[in-house]
Amino acid sequence: MRAKLRFGLILGLALLVCEAPHIGAARAADETCDRACLSGIVDQYLAAMVAHDPSRLPLAKTVRFTEDGVPLQLGDGLWATAGSLGSYKLTFAEPESGAAGAYAVVQENGAGAILALRLKVANRRITEIETLVARKPTTSILNTDNLTEPRPIFLETVAPANRPSRQEMVSMIGKYFDGIEQGNGDIVPFDPDCIRIENGIQTCPSSASSPLGALSCGAQLSTKIFTYIQTVSPRRFPIVDRERGLVLAIVRFNHPGTQQTVEVPGRGKMTMGRYSQWPNSTQIAELFKIKDRKIKEITAVIVTAAYKAPLGWE
Amino acid sequence: MQPRHWITYALGFLLAPVSALAATPARSADETCDRACLNGLVDQYLDAVVAHDPSHLPLAKTVKFTEDGQRLDLGDGFWRTATARGTYKYYMDDPVVGQVVFFGTMREAGNPVSLVLRLKIKDKKIAEIETIVIRTGMNPARPADTGAESFEKLGGPDPLFLQEIPPAERVSRDELARTANKYFSGMQLNDGKGDYSFFADDCSRIENGQQATEGRNTVASGSGQGNSYTVFSGCRAQFQSGLIHFVTRIRDRRFVVLDTEYGVALAFTFFDHAAGNTRTFQTPDGKTVTAGPTTPWTWEIAEAFKVENGQIHRILAIFQRCPYGMNSGWSSWEDSMSDKARW
Repeated sequence: MRAKLRFGLILGLALLVCEAPHIGAARAADETCDRACLSGIVDQYLAAMVAHDPSRLPLAKTVRFTEDGVPLQLGDGLWATAGSLGSYKLTFAEPESGAAGAYAVVQENGAGAILALRLKVANRRITEIETLVARKPTTSILNTDNLTEPRPIFLETVAPANRPSRQEMVSMIGKYFDGIEQGNGDIVPFDPDCIRIENGIQTCPSSASSPLGALSCGAQLSTKIFTYIQTVSPRRFPIVDRERGLVLAIVRFNHPGTQQTVEVPGRGKMTMGRYSQWPNSTQIAELFKIKDRKIKEITAVIVTAAYKAPLGWE
Repeated sequence: MQPRHWITYALGFLLAPVSALAATPARSADETCDRACLNGLVDQYLDAVVAHDPSHLPLAKTVKFTEDGQRLDLGDGFWRTATARGTYKYYMDDPVVGQVVFFGTMREAGNPVSLVLRLKIKDKKIAEIETIVIRTGMNPARPADTGAESFEKLGGPDPLFLQEIPPAERVSRDELARTANKYFSGMQLNDGKGDYSFFADDCSRIENGQQATEGRNTVASGSGQGNSYTVFSGCRAQFQSGLIHFVTRIRDRRFVVLDTEYGVALAFTFFDHAAGNTRTFQTPDGKTVTAGPTTPWTWEIAEAFKVENGQIHRILAIFQRCPYGMNSGWSSWEDSMSDKARW
């Protein structure tokens, strides 16, 4: 009797195991959120935000929301102040992991701010909301007037045969952060014409940003002028949009304030940036365009923070 | 003048203290840390900071350290950049719970900074270290002065803070905290209509080393001409203006020093400015006003009160801007978002 029972149990389990993938597949068809679905949820989020009404969103039962690394009730923070959306909106997605992101310009009591948004979607409902908001005076550099439309390169599709794997793309961007820590642009797979825009302002190459601004992105790093950023940690790569060749990294630059000057070859001793002067950190949502296996463009939202302030998702 | 604002708040919160920290721990005479012991540990700590060497401190096994609300390894942050001690020093002791808070000035790479330090002592060892370091660069509201220079010009705390309360006039810890907490409750969503009799006529407030009240409870000549409470002179008049409405929430009110012998209460707290529709409000004279910060942000604050005969006579605050809604590193999320006072 006992043997029969055991046989029955095993048979039942076996059938269940055989059935499980089928059941899962049926559910997946209903619940998967593809690129269009994710993009639609981003639009819904932005519209609900300027309406100050989170009840319009398809939220999971346990949704988590942070603004500038701080967990808040949904409806607080930028939700209470956002007036209207600007024309600038850059959306990207990783449907395989249910992740969507966007950069958008928002008017906040009459002043422009830039929102970096990350959403995690499961069963077509939002489970995670991570935001960084570049606004004055929280950040020292900001210009939303420059941001009217996304630069077209971020919208270009990469031919399927030319798409690197997720792992390859993340590895390339990891080298960018290694290059910052080490003051070595040579280890970073930069396109020679790489452009970086931070909070709406082009910082490499750019004659305006610093005495070394006219240098290329790689050459700037090699001067070691940025090595006051002693560590880039933690580093997360929550969205890799292989179709568009985009990687979103959310990281923290740590400035211990222990090194304020640097010897730049050919230029002598130079004073580093103002954030080298005391212990502080910056929280950054940085989007990289990879083309032909090179970093072609970078756009970042940067928020000043207390030294080693958590981003809230570690 | 700093852009702080106020709103009156339901007095119900005054009646709901959490007294968990009030109980006197049973300790042997050997283990108790009296005022001299507490102040000595502050000096030992600050000397160690300047020497960049925490290894000789009497540390509890599970010591916890925060700087500006962030948990760090001991030896990181200000420990790596401090270069000297400054001249302004004020020690606030609570031997009953083995806690001390120090307001003072320091040098960081030669630049003056203000420091708030809280040490929690257990068995004569440092168990908790909480610090706020006010640096110029992190305080866009006051780009030219961290407050440290102003504190050093003052020389020290107002002498009233250092006067003992006659034994017959001392009040309980609970009463001391309740009186001080009326300040926060009267400021949160300030409407000018509350009972502000908890302010003494001579009440004055120093914020980051600068006089913020002029010390008179009279209405200044600028009354009614502007939308800032700072045109009003005096602690009570500023609250009666109803113009501090834009302080939408005063949360995570932790009274960590309740010194009944000196009538001194010290709280760490956060002033939130939600910057949404609470920016527009009515003052008691019926005027509709739009005022206050335009973006959500928060003051991270340590605020000391001199309380005598049930009234607040002096207020001394050190604060800096921090991300909206930030946690102190010492409270649960729920407590950090609550406007109930705890002690």
